[in-house]
Amino acid sequence: MTQLVQNLVDGLGQGSIYALLALGLTLIFGVMHLVNFAHGELITVSSYAAYALASRGVGWGLIALAVIVVSVLTAVAIEFLAFRWVRGASEFTMLLTSFGVHFVVAALLVMYVSPRPLNFPKPAWIFDTVALGGVTLELVDLVTIAVTLVTLAATGRVLRRTMFGIALRAAAEDFDAARIMGVRSNLVIRGAFALSGVLAGVAAVFWLMRTGTASPTAGLTPLLFGVIAAIVGGLGSLGGAILGGMALGLVQVFLRSWLPSDVAGLTEGLLFVLIALLFIVRPQGFVTVRRAERV
Amino acid sequence: MRREPLERLILPAGEALTLFAILVLGGLLYTAFGGSARDTLVSQMLVNAIVVLGLQVYIGNTGILSFGHIGFAAIAGYAVAIAAIDPAFKRVFIPEAPFGLAEVQLDPLAATLVAVILVGLVAFVIGLGLVRSGARAGAVAPTMITLALLFLVYEAARNFTDLTGGDRSGLSFGPGNSLQGRGWIYLALGLSILGARLFRESRPGRLAQAAREDDLAARASGIDPGPPQMIALLLSVAIVAVGASLRVQSLGSMTPNFFFFSYTLLTLAMLVVGGRKSVTGALLGVVVITAGSELTRYLASDAVSVPGFDWLLKEGLSDVFLGGAMLVFMIVRPDGLLGDRELGDRVLLRLRSAQPPPDATEPASPPSVPSTLTVTGLSVQFGGFLAVHDASLQVRSGEIVGLIGPNGAGKTTLLNAITGVVPASAGTVRLDDRDLTGRTTHRIARAGVARTFQNFRLFPALPIREHVEVPALVAERHRHGGTGPDPLGLLVAGGLWDGRERPAGELDTGTARKLELARAAALAPAFLLLDEPTTGMNEAESAAMIEHVRRTAGSVGAGVLVIDHDLHFITRVCDRIVVLDQGRVIAEGTPEEVRGDAAVREAYLGTSADRSG
Repeated sequence: MTQLVQNLVDGLGQGSIYALLALGLTLIFGVMHLVNFAHGELITVSSYAAYALASRGVGWGLIALAVIVVSVLTAVAIEFLAFRWVRGASEFTMLLTSFGVHFVVAALLVMYVSPRPLNFPKPAWIFDTVALGGVTLELVDLVTIAVTLVTLAATGRVLRRTMFGIALRAAAEDFDAARIMGVRSNLVIRGAFALSGVLAGVAAVFWLMRTGTASPTAGLTPLLFGVIAAIVGGLGSLGGAILGGMALGLVQVFLRSWLPSDVAGLTEGLLFVLIALLFIVRPQGFVTVRRAERV
Repeated sequence: MRREPLERLILPAGEALTLFAILVLGGLLYTAFGGSARDTLVSQMLVNAIVVLGLQVYIGNTGILSFGHIGFAAIAGYAVAIAAIDPAFKRVFIPEAPFGLAEVQLDPLAATLVAVILVGLVAFVIGLGLVRSGARAGAVAPTMITLALLFLVYEAARNFTDLTGGDRSGLSFGPGNSLQGRGWIYLALGLSILGARLFRESRPGRLAQAAREDDLAARASGIDPGPPQMIALLLSVAIVAVGASLRVQSLGSMTPNFFFFSYTLLTLAMLVVGGRKSVTGALLGVVVITAGSELTRYLASDAVSVPGFDWLLKEGLSDVFLGGAMLVFMIVRPDGLLGDRELGDRVLLRLRSAQPPPDATEPASPPSVPSTLTVTGLSVQFGGFLAVHDASLQVRSGEIVGLIGPNGAGKTTLLNAITGVVPASAGTVRLDDRDLTGRTTHRIARAGVARTFQNFRLFPALPIREHVEVPALVAERHRHGGTGPDPLGLLVAGGLWDGRERPAGELDTGTARKLELARAAALAPAFLLLDEPTTGMNEAESAAMIEHVRRTAGSVGAGVLVIDHDLHFITRVCDRIVVLDQGRVIAEGTPEEVRGDAAVREAYLGTSADRSG
């Protein structure tokens, strides 16, 4: 029972990170039908900001702020430099464009920063635990879950209450109709990238706290799980992205805890088998989004 | 249908040989003036070319972005290494290998064959999954499934160290256990070029290309994309497996990182820079990217120093070049340098433009048995909204039935339900005594119900000629024992003959609609369902179009169900009219009867009385 609760919290902590990434991915998919495989670059680039500050002894409060700012700037810059030019292109072109961005950013970091992973100190409380009625929980999981809930609530408020949020949701529903109704596509797309940058920034903070590593491929693993979560949740569905992220985190943690230790190295492998099966059985995800394609 | 051995077999084969000769001679020329480093470079390039051709066969023809092909390559690499390496070596690297694999030693050629078969089996299973996921050009699910394969193989290779030697040591070949020398590479390259080039012209290749251009339009032309995509995948991975085997054997060892992200980047960049849809393009990309990589690597090396440019000329430049090339081409020229052009296109074009037009007026043999398309009580529900409610109608061979109604009446939805594009929630569709209800779109098309689309859907990158020849290929196998109309005759009749080698994406709306009609007719259908064939045309053009519809339908002996919302116009061409309003059939009869119907006047003419004449 205690094991179950611990796994649950652990899984939700992991899943929160995936959910934040998936939400950003699904927002971008909503406004330009792009599955953004360069979304992980937001974490990659901000991991170097974290390295620069943490290795100089700056506190994690400031680091968190810097990571989020860098993530937003990176998101907007990538949109401006790359995705702006392929709006409305075929899905094939957009997919490969986002892979191209990933490879270029990774190569530039190898070239100009360091080909090797750079380690920086994690926050002092990262290994602290909290005892709650006989259950020992990791503090970092609880913080991650709490901050994620606050972030999601704030995002929900922005999406529901602000003009920008309403325009964004309208565009995600039916981009052409939204444009006819006067939604400015430039603003909405850039705004979606900026918002996805905020969400990825929050995710990056917790990811980097746990890994304490900056590297040219730091964002690859969280990106993959974020993409998977977004697709599992049904691309374009905001609630689905959150559900997908949480579910993925739970599956990962429970797999790791239940599998016998001599095959523990294969956890990731097994996860990929499950993912492949999932896409085969239910390619449209769990939450089906009505596609407004007319024939 | 006419066989074209010259255009579809001999010419492409000659082209493949020419490409092969150019690559081989170019490589020899380059190595003649350099040392052994150049030799290695050329060998690597030729092996990469084989792998890229493998990618081209699948990605180029189906438009599905696979990230797993290098995962297949990794499987092949390990299969070859484990099967071919001398047991004396394996006892060092993988003494605990399961199934006594440490003691196995196959001849390198046999090991390569084992690799191809193994990869083929894995690909068959993955391919079933891809088909199940509804893989089509640009879809994300197949990209994720194949990406999962790439990661799965990588993780397995790193962790299953008893078999693979893991991350660090890997597996190394001893002397004499591998296919060394250029001869094997030449042989494999020649066959790969030939295979990839001929696949483009083959039946499954052409069906896959049609589905790549427009999945739904292909299904409506009787194409089931699954089987051609599976054939493309199997041929593709076989070529990749051969390339991977040769790569491992020429490198002399195998580790998990040989076939992972960076090789995926390299091969994909090669594929898209030259032009993924064309074999010539894929090979051109291999040469361009190899040259660019070498150049950037040279510039970044210590041998070169340009004052003021040290910040640029440093290690990692060649990776920036690879990623940058992919990115820039996607933005500036997504179809690559060549698009879908091949080396021998000019020769082919000259040959084809000399072809005399067939006689357009030649009457095709109409079906001997007249048939009837019967829709009974059909309903379509979207959530809580009944788009079509209990609709019934009948069309017989040789007659033209109009389906009219105000906007949003459910006309297109009814057509979609008949052709299996949207599911019906109640009711039946029958073609004579065959029940078509709930069948898939391509089966309904093969049964003899062809259609056009409201916003026409062509195969934009394919030449006009292909639009009638592909459905003719389907008709040959599935319709009337292969006695359909002459597809080229349909082009002549539609005034499309002169531009027949041009891509359909260039056509104006009116011509595009004519081509869509010709494509539907080439299926030799018993019924043609046309969705607003005259939209956007003026009076005279519309009249010509309808006359054209009548003639085309007559020449294939098909009955026609045509949607339009111009009542005045449709009464002149239809034998009978069915009026739909808010999903229900509110009237049916001859044009005169319908004009006089009170319900029709209220529901329909009230909204467009000015047109009632």
